[in-house]
Amino acid sequence: MTQELGPGTSLYRKEPKIYPRQVSGRFARLRVVAVWVLLGLFYLLPWIQINGKQAMLFDLPARKFYIFGLTFWPQDFIYLALLLITAGLSLFFFTALAGRLWCGFACPQTVWTEVFMWIENRVEGNRSRRMKLDKTPWNLEKILRKSTKQALWILFAAWTGFTFVGFFTPIRELGENVLTLSMGPWETFWMIFYGAATYGNAGFLREQVCKYMCPYARFQGAMFDKDTLIISYDEERGEPRGGRRKTADREELGLGDCIDCTLCVQVCPTGIDIRDGLQYECIACAACIDVCDHVMDKMEYPRGLIRYTTENALKHQGTRVLRPRIFVYGALLLIILGSTLWSMTHRVPLRADLIRDRNALYRELPGGIIENVYTLKITNMDDEAHIYTMRVLNNDAVEVDTSRELQLQAEEVAGISVRLRIPRSEAQGVQALEIELQAQQEPSIRKVFKARALMPTEAGNE
Amino acid sequence: MNNEAREIPGRWNQRKRDIATVLWIAFLAACVGTFVIFAVLDPEALNDAWVLPWEMGSRLAYSLGFLFLFLVSLIAASLTAFMIRTGPPPGHAAGKDAKPPPEIHEPEAENPDLDLGDLK
Repeated sequence: MTQELGPGTSLYRKEPKIYPRQVSGRFARLRVVAVWVLLGLFYLLPWIQINGKQAMLFDLPARKFYIFGLTFWPQDFIYLALLLITAGLSLFFFTALAGRLWCGFACPQTVWTEVFMWIENRVEGNRSRRMKLDKTPWNLEKILRKSTKQALWILFAAWTGFTFVGFFTPIRELGENVLTLSMGPWETFWMIFYGAATYGNAGFLREQVCKYMCPYARFQGAMFDKDTLIISYDEERGEPRGGRRKTADREELGLGDCIDCTLCVQVCPTGIDIRDGLQYECIACAACIDVCDHVMDKMEYPRGLIRYTTENALKHQGTRVLRPRIFVYGALLLIILGSTLWSMTHRVPLRADLIRDRNALYRELPGGIIENVYTLKITNMDDEAHIYTMRVLNNDAVEVDTSRELQLQAEEVAGISVRLRIPRSEAQGVQALEIELQAQQEPSIRKVFKARALMPTEAGNE
Repeated sequence: MNNEAREIPGRWNQRKRDIATVLWIAFLAACVGTFVIFAVLDPEALNDAWVLPWEMGSRLAYSLGFLFLFLVSLIAASLTAFMIRTGPPPGHAAGKDAKPPPEIHEPEAENPDLDLGDLK
């Protein structure tokens, strides 16, 4: 369908609204799998319970993150930093290796747009029907189809907003609150906010986000080299392009393999012509590969006129997969992932600190005993209750007296008054003590930390 | 003669202007942010919340707070500058320098034997 130049229009044609043609094939199926897996995780995870806790819950008021049965405390924010670094490095690694895999198959913009386009396609029909529907004046059918599409879009966006908030508020409670219309004002605000963002991005902005707004689209080129997988049209094989009968002899006509059906342009969600070469608008969704393979099959030509390849391969220079930048990105990724996993599995679910009572230096008790008073700040980060024992490692003469038994419920934070008593004859001046705290039932839960005790000096005695 | 030599003394080139603008705007944003945040938030609260493994003095808290906000603003400002620099040239919306959208037509138009079948 050629865009027509009406009389009196400007020299430049209108940027046409893009009506991507539905496509089927290997990569379309792969994307459907990606959509199911990623959106499946998003929509289902909050409903799954592990150890009686929501599988993924960022409990902001309690300042605890529950992720797959693990509890993360504010003190664990180092893992958040590591997670961000890992995500960044993975993006570098996969971009260098396989180009814009992220854009075509994993980016939320792509994944949600895919669902919105699927709905559109089901309600308004295929590409040519949608174009026709947009051109016809408003009638009952148009109103029905358009409003059904909008209703489904809004419903889906609302459900998305609800699920999003469900990652921050226990989703089962939230569900009940929504059903009884008793959500809190901020829950309502974020549901609407996130729902509207989904609707706007996936329903309207679509490829404009990738073309104008996405920073990754702009700088991914820097991670490319001549061995990076790109989607490319084989110009050598395809040109000169031109229409022909199936039975015609290409060589006689002086034509290449491209039959110029322009289907690769029609399926492109960003509306580019891949035959013009690599363009930054290309999100590597591989729709053009699928459709071109289909056409090649019909023409009984070999597949792969448009294919995943590399710049070097196109120049018949052989592709190197294992190259320095892959090793560097890969090694960094492995080191960070490995050390994160190691430190997470070796995390001691106990935090303790002895804080000196600021009001007094020390107290003298009858019998030549000196007493230092502290507050033991203790957090049981485990999901089971524990009783702890406390002792001083480097000084046997110290007697530990706690105001109550060191028993803490799961995830309990407590401040417990602690007195350390040392006979005056044993020491003088500042004492550096090494204190051990250990769970009685589970000796592996153990923390050693330092504290200072003050003792009178001889000089002070005179 | 290279470009460098042709620059008029005292006039900043694009790169210099970008760097200076990014730094200055990020600095201003961080100042306002620090001012507002610490007007309502006592840095001592950070110690009471017991997030950090050491006691943080309030001067250090103010300084780190400012530096953190400066860093975040710098990232945002740099990315914005980068997006504008690498984006479409002025006049893009009016159609200047634009290549026309790719030509498309009915696939069968010049390929009478092409049976699209399920693609139709």
